[in-house]
Amino acid sequence: MVGFEIVQMFFTVQTIMALLVGTIGGMFIGALPGLSATMAIALLIPVTFGMEPVAGLVMLSAIYTSAVFGGSISAILLHTPGTPASAATALDGYALTKQGKGLKAIGISTISSMIGGTISALALLFLAPPLSLVSLRFNAPEYFLIAIFGLTIIGSLAGDSLVKGLASGAFGLLIGLIGMDLMYGYPRFTYGFMTLESGIALVPAMIGLFSISQVLIQSEKIAKLKGKKEEKIIDVNSLEGTVLPSWKEFKSIVPTMIRSSAIGVLVGILPGAGGDIGSWVSYNEAKRFSKEPEKFGKGSIEGIAASESANNAVTGGTLIPLLTLGIPGSAAAAVLLGGLLIQGLVPGHALFSDYAGITYAVIFGFLIANILMGITGLLIAKHIVKVSTIPIGILSALIVVLSIVGSYAINNSVMDIYVMATFGVIGYFMRKTGFHPAPVVLAMILGPLAESSFKQSVVMAKGNLMTYFFGRPISIVLIVLTILALFAPLMMNYAQKKIQKNNTAKN
Amino acid sequence: MKKSLKFITVLLVLMLAISAFAVGCSSTSDAPAGQNEGGEGNTAGNDFPTKPIDVIVSFGAGGGTDVGARILLPYVEKELGVPINVINKPGAGGWVGWADLVNENPDGYTLGYINTPAIITGYLNPNNNRRNTIDDFDLISNHVTDYNVIAVKADDNRFENIDDVIKLAQETELTATSTGIGTDNHIAILTLNNELGTNFTTVQMGGGNEIYAAVLGGHVDVLISNVGEATAGHNSGDIRILAVLAPERVDFIPDVPTLEEAGYGEIYGYSARGIAAPKDMDPAILEKITDAFAKAMEDEDHIRRMAEMGLQVNAVYGDEYYNQVKQVEENIKHISDLLGW
Repeated sequence: MVGFEIVQMFFTVQTIMALLVGTIGGMFIGALPGLSATMAIALLIPVTFGMEPVAGLVMLSAIYTSAVFGGSISAILLHTPGTPASAATALDGYALTKQGKGLKAIGISTISSMIGGTISALALLFLAPPLSLVSLRFNAPEYFLIAIFGLTIIGSLAGDSLVKGLASGAFGLLIGLIGMDLMYGYPRFTYGFMTLESGIALVPAMIGLFSISQVLIQSEKIAKLKGKKEEKIIDVNSLEGTVLPSWKEFKSIVPTMIRSSAIGVLVGILPGAGGDIGSWVSYNEAKRFSKEPEKFGKGSIEGIAASESANNAVTGGTLIPLLTLGIPGSAAAAVLLGGLLIQGLVPGHALFSDYAGITYAVIFGFLIANILMGITGLLIAKHIVKVSTIPIGILSALIVVLSIVGSYAINNSVMDIYVMATFGVIGYFMRKTGFHPAPVVLAMILGPLAESSFKQSVVMAKGNLMTYFFGRPISIVLIVLTILALFAPLMMNYAQKKIQKNNTAKN
Repeated sequence: MKKSLKFITVLLVLMLAISAFAVGCSSTSDAPAGQNEGGEGNTAGNDFPTKPIDVIVSFGAGGGTDVGARILLPYVEKELGVPINVINKPGAGGWVGWADLVNENPDGYTLGYINTPAIITGYLNPNNNRRNTIDDFDLISNHVTDYNVIAVKADDNRFENIDDVIKLAQETELTATSTGIGTDNHIAILTLNNELGTNFTTVQMGGGNEIYAAVLGGHVDVLISNVGEATAGHNSGDIRILAVLAPERVDFIPDVPTLEEAGYGEIYGYSARGIAAPKDMDPAILEKITDAFAKAMEDEDHIRRMAEMGLQVNAVYGDEYYNQVKQVEENIKHISDLLGW
């Protein structure tokens, strides 16, 4: 009965149109650096004023998930993450593009995004009330420990040298200190610039570190060639592979996709953590569990699958506390809350009883949007991968223009363009000297989270911080996990050496 | 092969167009209004407005101030007959946008939203070195007043009513939520400690959602929030609002007593936002703008829309609005030593 009602509400011309517009529009916006899912939703909310609730909300949620997917396309083909959530995808995706396997990378990313998004939609459909209770168990102490756990990745994240990785991470933490301190309201390292009080904005810095540095490196190559040959990322004839992975490849990434989707949903339901954290944590766990961890950063399809299934799983996850408790799990979900309220839908139990028809129709629409996004992605992949065969001279100019527009658009701030340019130069020199920009971005995301949640924990503990942390079950689990993450590799190394020694002694 | 290259070219051009469009949506011309032709008061007032008006919102797109602005401004457009663009200029607790607004030409084509107490605490905090104060603006009209509330988790059986909260806070240390240094929640907590001898310690968090989750999860004892943000949880039974820091009961939550009613004196707290312009605008233009906003504010449709968002329209104009803001400034100066300023 209810099922019939939902189907009836969903299959209207307006809703289907809204779904199509949301999915395809979202992919475009997501692919553009700087134009985030949050902004796309904010700009389209006034459009939904006059729409039916189901159509309007389906459009907004479709934009959300497909914008997150869209970000991976530019990350893979141009080393320009469209959103911070796809920064981890750029590591392996671009490596594959350079090998001529961009098509396969986009295929993996599309399938992973679709599966991650679909799993999160199913979680939203069937597990929303219990999962929302889980989300409430996490607070400042747990966020602090998640941030610390995430930071354990830094040394091994990218590049060959542990020390260089740590140095990059420390630099990122330092950048994260800039701005107004949350607890005491003291401006740090702002040197009188008012725009620095909110800190260095993540997106322009990331665009600089990833895409502008890439443009500079390639321009240098062209300059060396002195016009002898037209430089491209990859020659048309070297493009290889199919969009669909082989059965063997697919089987090999299934565990990664499921694990990463679970991590993504979990990170999504936490109000203090979003897609960027979800994708990095999954990327690292995939590396830890992988049989071929050495391939990560050099074109591992597991790496792409991990980051992409996680960041799309986050989208459905963020909607869980939003719909059940009125607590958005991310910045984009916070904007969606406005869209709900304007339709007269107040989050809470009533959404699942009095307005169950509308709510389930919207969730159903979100599910369909994820599948539609996957199909569209697979269909256009073959065409879109040709971007990597455009001469670099033309491509670079386009990337720079898009980067400037994107950086400016976030806060309508010229300062952000300077930030992007500065970080572009920093990123260029870092990469020339063997430092990778990825740990900088990760530390910029996690550092401020660690700092503010630690300070909050101190106040919440009302005195005894140690008993407070150790009195919370989830905290204890996270502490154990962090210790394992830090020392397990060392212990395993030690054990292995010992076994070898024993063996040689026996022989 | 050729076909798909063509496709790619079209795609890239489209991408550029979209990004340009998206930027265009959130902001239009940044160019200053150029020469101020025809300085005579009356003629300027008669012609105004002849071109689109920009309204600077000092917070991000999709936030509370932004949504409120985007609901109200179409009704003002109808009165003035020109398009009105919202320009989001977030940063420095709102002062990035406000500093821009002060420096604009007072010709009526650039207006802005100002938020109290954020704008005041921004310049009263000596660490910030702000060059401007509220007296550098012409205040046009208040739009929304959102009173503070004291709430607890619904099943927290330590607290039956507001007396239990105040009493326990006087005896021991209780944690309470705030959304940043010098926000209305923070001012409310410090005022309570100052007036009633309570021992609330402030947990500073990023925003309205985080503080709500912290109390709902039982991590922080007392939720200090606003009517607009807490009413939904109160109605759904997740939290209980025990008192509102307003001179009279608030229509959205008629069952909740004011703190004054409960016998704790005139302790009020709220966040408010309204429209302001750079100082020294032509009086005729100022009057025309004020009239247009007044008509829009009183539009039933607009009031209903805002109520759906949980926000109470409180239209107060000109000098009266200015006096209200100055009163807030006075209250904050009164507790400035508690803020460490």
